[in-house]
Amino acid sequence: MYHCVPDFEMDDDYSIPSSNGVARPRKSSLPEDEIMELLWQNGQVVMHSQNQRSTRRSPPSKYDDAVIPAEQSAAREIRSEQEPAAHNQNSQLFMQEDEMASWLHYPLVDDDPALDHNFCADLLYPSNNLGNCTNPTLRTNGVTELHQAVTSEVWTSLPPIPPARRTELAESKAQNFVHFSRHKAKVAGGEGLDQNAPSSSRSAAVVRESTVVDSSDTPAVGHKLHVGDRGCAATKGDASAGTSSAGGGGVSGVKEMSTCEVTVSSSPGCSSASAEPALKPQAEDRKRKGREANDTECHSEDVEFESVDTKKHARGSTTTKRSRAAEVHNLSERRRRDRINEKMRALQELIPRCNKSDKASMLDEAIEYLKSLQLQVHMMSMGCGMVPMMFPGVQQYMPTMGMGIGMGMGMEMGINRPMMPFPNLLAGSSLPTPSAAAHLGPRFPLPAFHMLPVPAPDPSRMQAANQPEQMLNSLGAQLPSQPRFPNFVDPYQQYVAAHQMQVPLPQNEALGQPSSSKPRTNKGPENLGNHQ
Amino acid sequence: MSSRRSRQSGASRITDDQIIELVSKLRQLVPEIRNRRSDKVPASKVLQETCNYIRSLHREVDDLSERLSQLLATIDADSAEASIIRSLISQ
Repeated sequence: MYHCVPDFEMDDDYSIPSSNGVARPRKSSLPEDEIMELLWQNGQVVMHSQNQRSTRRSPPSKYDDAVIPAEQSAAREIRSEQEPAAHNQNSQLFMQEDEMASWLHYPLVDDDPALDHNFCADLLYPSNNLGNCTNPTLRTNGVTELHQAVTSEVWTSLPPIPPARRTELAESKAQNFVHFSRHKAKVAGGEGLDQNAPSSSRSAAVVRESTVVDSSDTPAVGHKLHVGDRGCAATKGDASAGTSSAGGGGVSGVKEMSTCEVTVSSSPGCSSASAEPALKPQAEDRKRKGREANDTECHSEDVEFESVDTKKHARGSTTTKRSRAAEVHNLSERRRRDRINEKMRALQELIPRCNKSDKASMLDEAIEYLKSLQLQVHMMSMGCGMVPMMFPGVQQYMPTMGMGIGMGMGMEMGINRPMMPFPNLLAGSSLPTPSAAAHLGPRFPLPAFHMLPVPAPDPSRMQAANQPEQMLNSLGAQLPSQPRFPNFVDPYQQYVAAHQMQVPLPQNEALGQPSSSKPRTNKGPENLGNHQ
Repeated sequence: MSSRRSRQSGASRITDDQIIELVSKLRQLVPEIRNRRSDKVPASKVLQETCNYIRSLHREVDDLSERLSQLLATIDADSAEASIIRSLISQ
């Protein structure tokens, strides 16, 4: 029988059997041309074929039909070799998707039955084969499985293609696949996708492509990837819940394919070759799915919202809307929280000696540390400005901060007064000069500093000094007075004392930056002492 | 959010408010964010900016320390300023 395969390049044209047959060389000798007319009746394809028993299968024709987009008209002329199978198939087929119908009808019966067995006909060929084919149960099972994955109405499985044929027609098939996949994707996208449909279409497309891979691996793979992306995209279009199920279905379909592919390996090399590439694309598909799943998760909510909206319109069910919206909301919320947690961890690493696990306390410490850092930078800049000015008059303006820091910060809290003898780093301290001087005097490490006029404290310093001021006063009593510099308040000790006193950290840090380097100020008093 | 809060324990609810408050504090400290419209700055942005700011402050401190040490070399080691500078650097 001669399968008049419509020119698959022409999407719409199905009824060019003769030309098609010529266009696509078939390895297997096709039986005499038998035109089986597939008539669409009530969504079902009824095949009227005079060829009751045709061993020839026309996979390419099937492919062509399949590839051809859904513009199939009601009546198609499809030459099928297997009428009975076709009939059976027709009865079983529920052609809800036109584009899939035509080639699906072609029974697996082939002049090369071995091919059928080898080929993952099971997956490709739904239970239609059961009727007429002597296919082993494997095929049935596979088909059944796949069928289950696919909605019964939608027959997305690929027709079995004998490896030989595949080899020849691989490239053309690849093209067909491309067309088909595109159409499938379009249909899937356009129809607001039944979950099974996209997955099944995707799996079918994958299956098809895998079968074609043997001869043209690269393009097939490319096509597969292409299709897979579309399929995945289509899947993405589904609601997130639907995506998972569709993905599962698609994955199962792919897996089934892999199984079939493996079983097919017994067949001539093409099949084995197809098995490998088939597995690869499957892995790729799975990876793609995983990636897409990740992308879906990481993807902005826009896609989900759009898909949700699409779904809403498609379904028009309030519950679905709400559930989807809630899902989307949860996903977005989770993503936001993850981002925030990540930033919090980064911040925690930046903060020295941050042993807090609690978010709030960690943020507290971060705030204090930030303030202390700002203060330190400010003081250092002041110090830089101070040094160039060496003349005595300038000493007045010697940065109090430098003094304060050197002295262990905080003790000069109250020295911010302009006339105070002691520079007040932290400024703002309200300690009266005389009292402060008296209070701090004994601890003042450097007599030279005593001579220093009280520099005009910066307003900022004044503000900063307010806090440590109180602490200083309390610290002053506690801080151990160094032998040489009783007044000197070691910033580190200050810090320690502060901690002992449960003084807020920023004050300590502001005072002496103890967090950054504990023993750092030890030099200060010693140096001061030397100068003494 | 409300449903989540109700589901969560009271402690978490308090923590949420604390966090919001702290984030606002941070927002005030970080000059970059301060100038933006604070009502629309997300927490993640604030944290990110804080990290960046802290890093920049670290760099500045290092830079200033280096400068101060250089200055220290130029002045009389016995001067008061020197001590000050040393103390500054040693922080």
